[in-house]
Amino acid sequence: MTSRMVTFLVSFSLPLAALAHHGWNGYDSSRGLTLTGTIVEASYTYPHATIKLKTMDGTWEAVLAPPSRMSARGIAGDALKPGLAATVEGYPSRQHDDEMRAERITLDGRIVELR
Amino acid sequence: MTEAPTVFELLEGVSIAVAMRDSLWLYPIVETAHILGFIVLVGAVLMFDLRVLGASKRIPVRLLAGHLLTGSAASLAVVIPAGLLMFLADAGSIAGNPAFILKMALLLCAGANAAAFHLGPYRSVASWDMGTPAPAAAKLHAALSMLLWVSIATCGRAIAYV
Repeated sequence: MTSRMVTFLVSFSLPLAALAHHGWNGYDSSRGLTLTGTIVEASYTYPHATIKLKTMDGTWEAVLAPPSRMSARGIAGDALKPGLAATVEGYPSRQHDDEMRAERITLDGRIVELR
Repeated sequence: MTEAPTVFELLEGVSIAVAMRDSLWLYPIVETAHILGFIVLVGAVLMFDLRVLGASKRIPVRLLAGHLLTGSAASLAVVIPAGLLMFLADAGSIAGNPAFILKMALLLCAGANAAAFHLGPYRSVASWDMGTPAPAAAKLHAALSMLLWVSIATCGRAIAYV
């Protein structure tokens, strides 16, 4: 591959990197974050389940784990109903002010590891 | 979100994309099919490239191509639809993923490289079918192919981590 082609590919890819919001690099693991609130929206879908959590500091979107893993760890689809209280512990997104990736979730007093 | 949805976000709404997200088993099954398919695809390509580069010279290149590259081509019938389904499930996000964009660009390069090999040095394969080193141009295409396919697999895995 010529260096010109590499330059092209890199310059083409970089501006779009800002759009990516899943994955690991997009979350700031140097800043731990714990949020407690009420689930207002829940999506038990691939590639990741997500919840919208209404807290005293606004409503956050928490990215959880794939449904297969959630299910294996004992969180079925109906465990994420709107109205339920939840605590998520994780890292804030670097791109979106109101998004975080949860490492663990507390539901009904039970702590479930998501990674 | 206040902006109008992109075409990729609209693609997420098609019924098969919804099924990919909602079914507990569909996504892992499709993902496994994609992996099994590209094991055959990339594995066969790398083994053929090694032959062109000079390994196992007693195996006729044309016989090996008939075996391995037929398997590679057939595996595309699994790899491409499975990959497309995973893309659709999260199209709005994946379309902007730098690893995905690089992977697509490298796939185009790999396709062009394979075409150039078959339309170029491979036409004279009868003269280097067995026991003879392949011409330098053929080896160059084979080395580039190995580099590209390893990079493509790496980028594919990286989509989940960037």
